[in-house]
Amino acid sequence: MEFKLADIGEGIHEGEILRWLVKEGDQVEQDTPLVEVQTDKVAAELPSPVAGVIERIVAREGQVVPVGTVLAVIREAGAHPAAAAASVAAPVAMDAQASAQEKPATQASAAQEERATAAPEASGAARRGGKRRALATPHVRALARKLGVDIDEIDGTGPVGRVTEEDVRRFAEGGRRPAVEPARGHTEHAVEAQPTTASRVATPEASGELVEQVPLRGLRRRIAEHMVLAKRIIPHATHIDEVEMDGIEALRERLRPYAEARGVKLTLLAFFVKAVAIALKEFPYVNASVDEAQEHVLLRRYYHIGIAVDTEHGLIVPVVKHADQKSVFDIAREVSDLARRARENRLSLDEVTGSTFTISNAGALGGLYATPIINYPESAILGIHKMAPRPVVRNNEIVIRNIAHVSLSFDHRIIDGGMAIRFTNRVRELLEEPDRLWAELR
Amino acid sequence: MSRMLNLVQAINEALDLKLADDARVVLLGEDIGKNGGVFRATDGLLEKYGEERVIDTPLAESAIIGTSIGMAVNGLIPVPEIQFLAFIFPALDQLFSHVARMRYRSQGQFPVPMTIRTPYGAGIHGPELHAESVESFFAHTPGLKVVVPSGPYDAKGLLISAIEDPDPVVFLEPTKLYRAFREEVPEGLYRVPIGKAKRVREGEDVSVFAWGSMLRTALKVAEALERERGFTCDVIDLRTLYPLDRDAIVESVQKTGRAVVVHEAHKTAGLGAEIVSLINEEALLYLRAPVKRIAGFDVPVPFFALEDEYMPTEARIRAGIEETITF
Repeated sequence: MEFKLADIGEGIHEGEILRWLVKEGDQVEQDTPLVEVQTDKVAAELPSPVAGVIERIVAREGQVVPVGTVLAVIREAGAHPAAAAASVAAPVAMDAQASAQEKPATQASAAQEERATAAPEASGAARRGGKRRALATPHVRALARKLGVDIDEIDGTGPVGRVTEEDVRRFAEGGRRPAVEPARGHTEHAVEAQPTTASRVATPEASGELVEQVPLRGLRRRIAEHMVLAKRIIPHATHIDEVEMDGIEALRERLRPYAEARGVKLTLLAFFVKAVAIALKEFPYVNASVDEAQEHVLLRRYYHIGIAVDTEHGLIVPVVKHADQKSVFDIAREVSDLARRARENRLSLDEVTGSTFTISNAGALGGLYATPIINYPESAILGIHKMAPRPVVRNNEIVIRNIAHVSLSFDHRIIDGGMAIRFTNRVRELLEEPDRLWAELR
Repeated sequence: MSRMLNLVQAINEALDLKLADDARVVLLGEDIGKNGGVFRATDGLLEKYGEERVIDTPLAESAIIGTSIGMAVNGLIPVPEIQFLAFIFPALDQLFSHVARMRYRSQGQFPVPMTIRTPYGAGIHGPELHAESVESFFAHTPGLKVVVPSGPYDAKGLLISAIEDPDPVVFLEPTKLYRAFREEVPEGLYRVPIGKAKRVREGEDVSVFAWGSMLRTALKVAEALERERGFTCDVIDLRTLYPLDRDAIVESVQKTGRAVVVHEAHKTAGLGAEIVSLINEEALLYLRAPVKRIAGFDVPVPFFALEDEYMPTEARIRAGIEETITF
């Protein structure tokens, strides 16, 4: 039987083959983990649907394949060897790409230089001279020409990413971009605009210097794609302010024993999430996204706050859903649980998607300010920086207060500086005077 | 009036009618006289037309073809029979160097109006060299026409056209179909034109090109696919392999956007390759899937125990068509 990439989370479109856990010829039982697949931000092990022998592994490690692609052929216990393999078409282009990336070069010896420069060539079927070349049948190409669209711009939904007739028609009708769907559909554009993959890294290092070539894989590749996408599409601007934290810090100290008795580690972040959720309701454009294709703004009436977590695998953004309806304790509990599981790489796809606004908490690491990149397609992101005692002026006197800086990056297409400042002021006010925060709770 | 005849009877009737119709027509070959031919295609003709018109020859294919050349350029219309297609190999020099080139070489003065009849193809469990499909040898040689009927009606009409053709025709009779089924065949002389393919089943999803006994197998698959999966196949019987009916092929592919060629000859450099190239040249922009060839394997046609494995089976054809449609 053909073992295909199933839709392992809601609405995923493609996955990257991280690691095969079996090899050809291996005997597997039903539910034996076969392969590790990276989807948007989650690595999942896919189990074998049947007992049998791995007859052929079709998808190679490092390959990005759309849902429905045959990953391997499993000969079910008792089946005839040839029958299963016969109908599988090998995805030639992607195979070539994958094998070219398989062995990272450690030294720029002559042979390896050759291989390094050959790498982008090897993937030529998909990408040539930096430009992506669509896989499509002549009929579909003719159709694209007739409809006046550049087929290389279209993201194929067919087998191994082939552009189908339907893709062309949809593209021709919907303008240059497919309808906005968070982080999918645009990924190829993002990669296209980002020549920092193997080719760029490898080529300028031909001078004999020691260089290590690390394939851009897995979560890192996802992050790279996502960041390029955000920066390319969203005109970013960042507003920075300082927040006096003494009030909230005092409140936290008072609540600490009470929280601990309830098994909650009360963090400042939980207060931020709550304050942001309250402020977002008053500033709908900050909890929104732009649908480029339809040219309208989607104002979201639900408040899912993404929390950027720094893990050893990379940046992961678990989501506190419906933060507006949860208590600070609930939020604190949920954030700590999500962060822990993020570090263990045990989050489900559902838990890392669907945010409407993101908070990036860099406070623990230090630093003064930053310009966070918006979590596309959201319209803003709040960076929280290290809280520290700083001299400030109060009533014409220099005093020492606990100050944290915050940086709000916003989508300048739909948010102007005024709105960004008013939103940040509101968040600041709720934190500086926690009584107001409580007053807003419902 | 028409009767139900099998393919070998239809051929016998065509020969009979042409012998009666045109005094220049002469049959020659091994055992075709008294014996009536190895498949009885010439049964009864010796008794009817005499030894001067139905000639038993020695076992010497080069002599059969060589003699036919002499007859043809001197005004007769010889119809030599080669007992099995692969037996023609000793006569290939006569065929390629002389039959095919005589008109060209003599600047049109000496046409060679002869029709070489021969059973071809596997499926009857014959011994070695009794089951070859080397039609592309002939289709590749300028000067020869190559005709393959797939049923009794066409066999009679095409053979009459071939005998009446002023140029040499290699007339390949699918051995497996000689007595496989009957079809209504009209009495009297009628002609099926050389160079014209025939659509035997109308469909929208894929064009299937076949000839000879493979046509029947492909047709069965097409019927099953429509019944079971709703896929409709435009099944085209090529009937003439040279000259190919290019218009019919291109027109069908333009309609369906997909094509599968089925032949029992070896795949490499088989006629399927020519058809794929033709589609490539003239209908590329219509293609929705790569054109697939379902063919015999690149090995000598094996002994009869393995013959069925060699021939494109219904399952192979079916898989090929399904893959093409669902590409």
